[in-house]
Amino acid sequence: MGSKQTVFTHEQLEEYQDCTFFTRKEIMRLFYRYQDLAPQLVPLDYTSCPAVKVPYQLIGSMPELKDNPFRQRIAQVFSEDGDGHMTLDNFLDMFSVMSEMAPRDLKAYYAFKIYDFNNDDYICAWDLEQTVTRLTRGELSAEEVSLVCEKVLDEADGDHDGRLSLEDFQNMILRAPDFLSTFHIRI
Amino acid sequence: MLGRWSGSFFWLVPSPSFRPQFLQFEISVEAFPSLRENGGGGGGSGDAGLVVLRCREDGETACRMPRAALPLLVLPLAGVVAAEETTQEPGAPGEHPPGLALFRWQWHEVEAPYLVALWILVASLAKIVFHLSRKVTSLVPESCLLILLGLVLGGIVLAVAKKAEYQLEPGTFFLFLLPPIVLDSGYFMPSRLFFDNLGAILTYAVVGTLWNAFTTGAALWGLRQAGFVASRVQAGLLDFLLFGSLISAVDPVAVLAVFEEVHVNETLFIIVFGESLLNDAVTVVLYKVCNSFVEMGSANVQAADYLKGVASLFVVSLGGAAVGLVFAFLLALTTRFTKRVRIIEPLLVFLLAYAAYLTAEMASLSAILAVTMCGLGCKKYVEANISHKSRTAVKYTMKTLASCAETVIFMLLGISAVDSSKWAWDSGLVLGTLIFILFFRALGVVLQTWVLNQFRLVPLDKIDQVVMSYGGLRGAVAFALVILLDRTKVPAKDYFVATTIVVVFFTVIVQGLTIKPLVKWLKVKRSEHHKPTLNQELHEHTFDHILAAVEDVVGHHGYHYWRDRWEQFDKKYLSQLLMRRSAYRIRDQIWDVYYRLNIRDAISFVDQGGHVLSSTGLTLPSMPSRNSVAETSVTNLLRESGSGACLDLQVIDTVRSGRDREDAAMHHLLCGGLYKPRRRYKASCSRHFISEDAQERQDKEVFQQNMKRRLESFKSTKHNICFTKSKPRPHKAGRKKDGVANAEAINGKPPRDLGFQDTAAVILNVESEEEEEEESDSSETEKEDDEGIIFVARATSEVLQEGKVSGSLELCPSPRVIPPSPTCAEKELPWKSGQGDLAVYVSSETTKIVPVDMQMGWNQSISSLESLASPPCTQATTLTRLPPRQQDAEEPQALLDLSSDPHPSFAFPPSLAKAGRSRSESSADIPQQQELQPLMGHKDHTHLSPGTATSHWCIHFNRGARL
Repeated sequence: MGSKQTVFTHEQLEEYQDCTFFTRKEIMRLFYRYQDLAPQLVPLDYTSCPAVKVPYQLIGSMPELKDNPFRQRIAQVFSEDGDGHMTLDNFLDMFSVMSEMAPRDLKAYYAFKIYDFNNDDYICAWDLEQTVTRLTRGELSAEEVSLVCEKVLDEADGDHDGRLSLEDFQNMILRAPDFLSTFHIRI
Repeated sequence: MLGRWSGSFFWLVPSPSFRPQFLQFEISVEAFPSLRENGGGGGGSGDAGLVVLRCREDGETACRMPRAALPLLVLPLAGVVAAEETTQEPGAPGEHPPGLALFRWQWHEVEAPYLVALWILVASLAKIVFHLSRKVTSLVPESCLLILLGLVLGGIVLAVAKKAEYQLEPGTFFLFLLPPIVLDSGYFMPSRLFFDNLGAILTYAVVGTLWNAFTTGAALWGLRQAGFVASRVQAGLLDFLLFGSLISAVDPVAVLAVFEEVHVNETLFIIVFGESLLNDAVTVVLYKVCNSFVEMGSANVQAADYLKGVASLFVVSLGGAAVGLVFAFLLALTTRFTKRVRIIEPLLVFLLAYAAYLTAEMASLSAILAVTMCGLGCKKYVEANISHKSRTAVKYTMKTLASCAETVIFMLLGISAVDSSKWAWDSGLVLGTLIFILFFRALGVVLQTWVLNQFRLVPLDKIDQVVMSYGGLRGAVAFALVILLDRTKVPAKDYFVATTIVVVFFTVIVQGLTIKPLVKWLKVKRSEHHKPTLNQELHEHTFDHILAAVEDVVGHHGYHYWRDRWEQFDKKYLSQLLMRRSAYRIRDQIWDVYYRLNIRDAISFVDQGGHVLSSTGLTLPSMPSRNSVAETSVTNLLRESGSGACLDLQVIDTVRSGRDREDAAMHHLLCGGLYKPRRRYKASCSRHFISEDAQERQDKEVFQQNMKRRLESFKSTKHNICFTKSKPRPHKAGRKKDGVANAEAINGKPPRDLGFQDTAAVILNVESEEEEEEESDSSETEKEDDEGIIFVARATSEVLQEGKVSGSLELCPSPRVIPPSPTCAEKELPWKSGQGDLAVYVSSETTKIVPVDMQMGWNQSISSLESLASPPCTQATTLTRLPPRQQDAEEPQALLDLSSDPHPSFAFPPSLAKAGRSRSESSADIPQQQELQPLMGHKDHTHLSPGTATSHWCIHFNRGARL
């Protein structure tokens, strides 16, 4: 619509606008960015809703992302199938969550999901160990990592069940005022 | 001559060879003959220390000529120079007869440093007096009080000497008073916050200052044209612009002094404060440009000059920043190699930072920017490189110097205001300036904030803007700059001086006084002192990475993208280059936070232990009474404490009789919980090394005790969590939390009682940082844990007996300097002795302070200790004492256990401990254990489950009791 080529039908755009926190222009911008990820895979005509997925290998191999410890996790969380392949919808979702308009709870929920490596809806010690290991890039010994995780659990575990539920996580994260306020990206 | 520096010091000269009268001592610039006249040729006698100062003299454009470079700070170099200079000063009054004088009065030889010291003393005493009354200081900012004090002192001087003396000299101010304050603020600047708000800060600093300068200058000129300013103020547009440029800059000293007491939220603070620091470049450039225009005369100014003026803005600011960064790099690099000369580390920090300042001054770049950048840039690496003690030293010295300088500045400012000879009052000008700076500041802030809020994630709201406008305090920088004006070129200088003084006083006193109530009234978000939590640290990092990743995906090179880039660059190259390898390894922010939290916990734990002790009246000597308590209670207590001892007891419970159990429990408690006997410490008075004092070793021990407990409770947690999947245990976390705080506090009694005795063995472990490689890795720890279970049920009796023997021996104070052998607990629990873990978190620096010869001894004993205490598998290869066959037997076994035993049980640490101990202690045990091993997989369940159950019960029991 907004461009020379018709990528989306009017209804599609409306729908996207409803489902995300973006304007039409931003959706188009994001689409082109998505298309850039894999020009050979993603068609420029989306009117027929093709089932296109950008494989994780493409995303993960981006030079900028090479060193990012959470690249896989992010892709996994936001992709439908959980293995990191991203459809356009997933892609839009991801940025929608990061946008300023997204409510804090939504942000917290996704942040929680990113931590929850084993997808059991709780952040357990193992999840935390994964996080810490990635963050420290393997510079801490296992013992140290476990100590840190224990402490983290100890700090945030409101109901003393040895793992963090979503409520624990939200509680903890809302306590620090500007955590989520910085969890934004301007597109 | 401006070099006069006099004050309220009067001296009744007691010697008859002097005229008996009140002498008012003056330090004249003779102390620096080469500086007496600008460009007066270096009549240099002994001015080796003044090279830097004289370089400035050569610079034609240098705007801040040091008329009198009176070393006001305790900078040793300056002091020495001053002292040397004064001794060479010819013609000191009171000629001494050529004979041998019995008594010589040599005031002039010590005059300069003496006065400096006295001034600082007066300032410090004044501070003490102010703080005697909490009420006064809570209402009135210290800076106001100091200015008022200065006014009073100046008045006295004026009344007595009939002329104003001891004023704030620009040279003194810029060369000696300002650097420490700026360094302090740059070094302790919260860098993340600073860079997060860099855009806003830069906008306010550059655009805001330019705006303020031009609008104020132009408006004043308009006022003059309109006739509101008396015509005797002979000033044109350029003069007013010059004045505007110096009066517009927000002053870092004043802002810091006032805002530090107000405690507004961090963002607001960093914006105002960052602005005040960074606007120095703009101020300097504007001032210089205007000054040279005024001197040239407005007719001679050409278009090229304006361009040059703009260009010089970039040169001065970027150049200053570059100088700072270069010195920061040098500083970081230097501290990397100070391992053997720890004692000069703090000095290096100060010297190089000061060198950065002077270099920037010399090149007439922005010196404030240079020092700020130097402090900001070097901090991370320097902190990682220098020892813990040096860090403390740097911190305190920096704070001391800064507060000294600040105090003196405000006091001298007050004194300077008294000198009415420099004043020329014009009400129109004064009032106009006051109104304009307030108005234009507010207007500028509102306009800029409006623009900035379009880009900021967290917009600055109205209240923030009010505080920012109101917080634009002017201070000593403006005053020093206005004093530097040349009266022949700027005929209205006297008026400007008076106006500046009024403005400074008004902003510091009136605004300083009212800003606190204002902040309260407007309900500005205050900064809250929430403790740093690991969660915070963790999430901050994670979010950074996530955001960077998302930005990367979208190909949007935003702030996170660049920060991520920078961090990677830093990690890959800079840190490798600038940090010691050991520091680099240990230095991890998450770990760092963890470490600090632990120390805090340990301290609070000890405090708490003290409370419990006093409140319950339980003391160690009351052992019998303890015994009379139901015997389980002791074991419960012990088990609750989560220490190795209690875990052992679970085993003991099943085997031994009550009496023995008590003894064993007590013994283990003592081993685990007691502080080690104090050793006679060899007195050392080396100039180059600081020996650890007892207090610190105690702290360390407390810390280590805490670590041990944590480690243990962690281990149990971990295992429980494995269980948790199938069998939730709601009170476990509770146990952990309360256990540490409460139950341990109860058990904390014995350590408290016999406590504060120093250990050698524990500190020892600290030592090992250098020689050990990466200690444990995960698989092996796991292995150990599981393997540990093997021995649980068996070796009990030996452990106890042996423990008793060795324990009793070790509890005797041993006078050896070479540390005594580790306690039985440490031998038993190899990981407890810190070989694997503690060595890492107890910061490595301590080791380097130990005298070299002692270090060797320590190293030896350490390595022997390590071989004793090393856990079964990690360092197996280093254990020469053990038959290799055994390793072979054990390792597969361990693996087997790991796979075959899905439910590791509660009580592994003691067993593990035993494993370690028995291996090292008595090789006789080994075969036996090996024989027993195969059986273990089944047994430990049966044996241990009762133990776990009881422990639960205890928890309930104790918690209930507490409630």
